[in-house]
Amino acid sequence: MATERKKIRLKDISIRTDEPLITVTADDLMPLPPPLDQQGKKAPYSPLSENQKKSFECSLDGVSALALPKPKNKEEEEKLVARFLSGLRKLLSQNDNWPFWQPLIQSLESCVRCQTCSDACPVYVSSGNQEIYRPTYKSEILRRIINKYIKKRGKIITKLTGDDIKLNWPTVARLAELAYRCTLCRRCAQRCPLGSDNGLIGRELRKLFSQEMGIAPKELHDSGTVQQLKVGASTGISSAAFQGMVEFMEDEIEEKWGKRIKIPVDKEGADILLIHNSGEFMSWIENPVAFAIIFEAAGLSWTLSSEIYGYEATNYGTWYDDVQFARIALKQVEVARKLKVKKMVMGECGHAHKGLIVIADRILMDEMNFPRESFLPLLEELVCGGKLRLDPQKNNFPVTLHDPCNVVRLMGIVEPQRRILRKICPQFREMEPHGVENYCCGGGSGFAIMNSMNFKEWRENISSRMKLKQILETFNDVLDSGIRKYVCAPCSNCKGAIRDILSSNDLWEKNSIYYGGLVELVANAMVDMKRPYIDWEWH
Amino acid sequence: MILFIFYGSILFFIIAAALRVRRCVSAPIHLHWELYKGSSVYELTEWWGKTHNTFGEKLWSMILDLLFLREFYHRNRNFWYFLYPFHIGIYSLVLWHAWFLFGAKVISIEFLSIWGRLWGHVATGLTFFGIVGIFIKRVKDEDLKIYYPPIHYLKWPFLAVILLEAFYSVQFYFGDIFEDLLLEFHPNVATKAHLLFASVLLIYLPFSHIMQLFFRYYHYLRWDDVPNVRGSEIERRIKEHLERPVTWSAPHIQSGKRWREVASKLECPITEGK
Ligand code: SF4
Ligand code: SF4
Repeated sequence: MATERKKIRLKDISIRTDEPLITVTADDLMPLPPPLDQQGKKAPYSPLSENQKKSFECSLDGVSALALPKPKNKEEEEKLVARFLSGLRKLLSQNDNWPFWQPLIQSLESCVRCQTCSDACPVYVSSGNQEIYRPTYKSEILRRIINKYIKKRGKIITKLTGDDIKLNWPTVARLAELAYRCTLCRRCAQRCPLGSDNGLIGRELRKLFSQEMGIAPKELHDSGTVQQLKVGASTGISSAAFQGMVEFMEDEIEEKWGKRIKIPVDKEGADILLIHNSGEFMSWIENPVAFAIIFEAAGLSWTLSSEIYGYEATNYGTWYDDVQFARIALKQVEVARKLKVKKMVMGECGHAHKGLIVIADRILMDEMNFPRESFLPLLEELVCGGKLRLDPQKNNFPVTLHDPCNVVRLMGIVEPQRRILRKICPQFREMEPHGVENYCCGGGSGFAIMNSMNFKEWRENISSRMKLKQILETFNDVLDSGIRKYVCAPCSNCKGAIRDILSSNDLWEKNSIYYGGLVELVANAMVDMKRPYIDWEWH
Repeated sequence: MILFIFYGSILFFIIAAALRVRRCVSAPIHLHWELYKGSSVYELTEWWGKTHNTFGEKLWSMILDLLFLREFYHRNRNFWYFLYPFHIGIYSLVLWHAWFLFGAKVISIEFLSIWGRLWGHVATGLTFFGIVGIFIKRVKDEDLKIYYPPIHYLKWPFLAVILLEAFYSVQFYFGDIFEDLLLEFHPNVATKAHLLFASVLLIYLPFSHIMQLFFRYYHYLRWDDVPNVRGSEIERRIKEHLERPVTWSAPHIQSGKRWREVASKLECPITEGK
């Protein structure tokens, strides 16, 4: 049970304190099922060091996602507040913010404060209903700032519509951090009877900070989109390094499975340009390898690209910056166009799906409006259409499926992955809830790669907590370490977040809960593979 | 005078509502930002050649939602118990007024007096029940209270007063309303008060959430699942926006240039953020 704690009010966001507004304690956290029900109580995140506290803003919850430096003096504070206000004006202007003006205004104006959305939010629920993480907390604060400082409809109306927020530096600093306590999973928006989208409001806040004030997490901006635009991939992989990796993949296939495959690279006029999250090459090379084995076995006309921007599907701009988003999307499509392929196919990367296939749809004009689709329908055709020789018995272990928000709730690709798993995994079981109702992995919107100070701990113990609970509940009858279990997460970022929660709770060592992508299971079921594709080696 | 205010408020309502609808319809086309309740066209290979949901389906779904408040029913039943009578009450009161005005010309006063009263009272009762329930919830539930702006705590009692007053005039002056208002245009005091309150309500309505409920279903908003194809209207509208200047000030944006240039040409090096 959570201990009695002070109720946080909207106006508390403006309080000037040395201590954070809240600190989530072990007692607050949503309990976990076995085997983690007996876990000793441990604070979800460590306090920042005195030096960190002195240098960086952490007055929201004692966590720093942004490493936002504290202003040196009053003048600097005032300047920053003025810039925030100017950004807010732009956010609300049709001219300046045409890409998202309409859904933003709709979300701001339609909320009836019924709080139906609160219980839908994994962060709010996992943290033991911390007021500041309630989906509407940041939105209502923004609404009231707009009321008081932008709309200016006279004293009485302002008072009646809520004028209790003081726009000062603590408010701005806390809002900046708060925009990074929401994974943009939009489960709350799905739940809202009025169609108000608190996830979008969170994203627009991030955008204001980035596009107007140059404030964004280093992992998303400097070593994310900026690096991608400079060298071609957010992982920093250069074109030459990529080509080396392809050779390594070919050797690996030969060595392990005795097949010599020539992985097509830069093949002009191929039907398909397959584009992976480059993190796969760094952390889960077995995923692009499985794609290559499957596509070759099915005799597809396909290629990878070694051209700068052509071997990276990520686009972190999706989460925080329209301009960076557009720049990257255009670069990626340009590669496909030059290569004269028939279509681009996204590999196992959720936000690349949503970003390039859906959102970018309305910035790609004329010849840049290039055919783009998910790997899932294609893989379904191969698996269920009999193009591959498969033996489901090779996958005879419990498997569950995580639904990446970007692919499922935000794009409506719900069934192909299930039809594939039903076909090749005799012990496939759904987690609850699943499909469009499933919870975020906790690593959404960039969290999976954000590791600033104590943010990683916050993610593992709060934003990913609901996913951890779901996984344990799904496997509760097979927790025995003698039974290997597989969490299938067909998205690179989700995979990273799930790896981290399994590993920090020793669930592989103690309970044999493993994780991986979808194509690995398909390759594992292929009849003519001399040895099992999945090697159950933790990484 | 009172009729002047009343008809003025109707005119105000129509103009203000039209302006809000215009604001919504003429909004710049936004990027494709969708949510799905289930499978979409992206489950198909080469989805761009295949059909999306039909308008008819969306319309039907919208009608069911508005009639039954299905989403509240499924997701927040406690609220629905009060919200639904309130909405049904309001819908039937609107119909009641239309029927009453229409009936004045063609139906006998006796008929109107019996059935009109009954209908009116039931609708008023439902609405009143809803209002009281919602108000109590809003006052008692701490989670609801801290987010609810003060204006709404005036709105609900005000609506209740209008209803009580309407009940009073229909119950005791029904014949008079009928004669005075519709045939001779000389309303009595009770009716005058009702008309005055109703005028305030009409002025408030275009700014209320009721309008939002409809906007939510605006075709291009909630379910704007229309892909952009070459040479389409969507493409034409987006192209206009791409010619607008980018005004955001962070150093990496390259403010001042047009969207098209900012997105496609990276002439100056991109600076890193803070
Ligand atoms: S966002 Fe929707 S569900 Fe949440 S409080 Fe507002 S109206 Fe209710
Ligand atoms: S988008 Fe997801 S994480 Fe963010 S407030 Fe909504 S439910 Fe919570």
